[in-house]
Amino acid sequence: MGKGINKAVIVGTLGRDPEIRYSSSGSAVVNLSVATNESWKDRETGEAQERTEWHRIVIFGKLGEIASQYLKKGEQAYFEGRIKTSKWQDQSGNDRYTTEIVATEMQMLGRRPEQVS
Amino acid sequence: MARGVNKAIIVGTLGQDPEVRYTANGGAVANISVATNESWRDKATGEAQERTEWHRIVMFGKLAEIAQQYLKKGSQAYFEGRIQTRKWQDQSGNDRYSTEIVANEMQMLGGRAGGGGGAPMESGGQSQSKPQSAAPETAPMDDGFDDIPF
Repeated sequence: MGKGINKAVIVGTLGRDPEIRYSSSGSAVVNLSVATNESWKDRETGEAQERTEWHRIVIFGKLGEIASQYLKKGEQAYFEGRIKTSKWQDQSGNDRYTTEIVATEMQMLGRRPEQVS
Repeated sequence: MARGVNKAIIVGTLGQDPEVRYTANGGAVANISVATNESWRDKATGEAQERTEWHRIVMFGKLAEIAQQYLKKGSQAYFEGRIQTRKWQDQSGNDRYSTEIVANEMQMLGGRAGGGGGAPMESGGQSQSKPQSAAPETAPMDDGFDDIPF
């Protein structure tokens, strides 16, 4: 049996500027908060509904540095990567889980062509 | 501005039989736990590393009923949907978040030889798939799930 496929594709808008930090080996770790919206019509009332989904996206290394350099709050970008859930303990020692997308591809959108590369 | 794209694609193995319940208006809700594996070589030591990722996948309505009928622990399947994070409160009133994939497409894979193409297996048909030996007994996303007000 194969390893399986674990893929996420997000095209969304940054809710804040990227947060960059560096691992002990000096490589960049960049965290992003990206919004997508879904809309639908309520079946009973017919009213338009909208919901914003916030995605935690993390990018490592060179791509992370590019993201932190060129992406800003309010800008739109394409991300592709895998879904990863990390287990951690809160202050009371309870197991907690955080899910994020580890992006391995990123493209800036909605910019003048000469700025996109 | 466009609404954006929120898409997840998972091809993986069920860690347990689907859990199905019904809403007040009779609609089915299926929760499943699906494993994917990633492997890589440690840059420093050169050793092969492997990690199992568990995905919590939820399906509604007819698709949930099909999943209940045909998917079992060890089955392999393709899922496509959107990523959704729900906020809920634990017993102490703390905000908690659970992320899952709301699948709107599903295809069974790896059924009996010759039965490929995602065709539904006959009732009682045995899947040839084996559960991943690396899979833990319980999926991590089971934590507090029963407490989540859906």
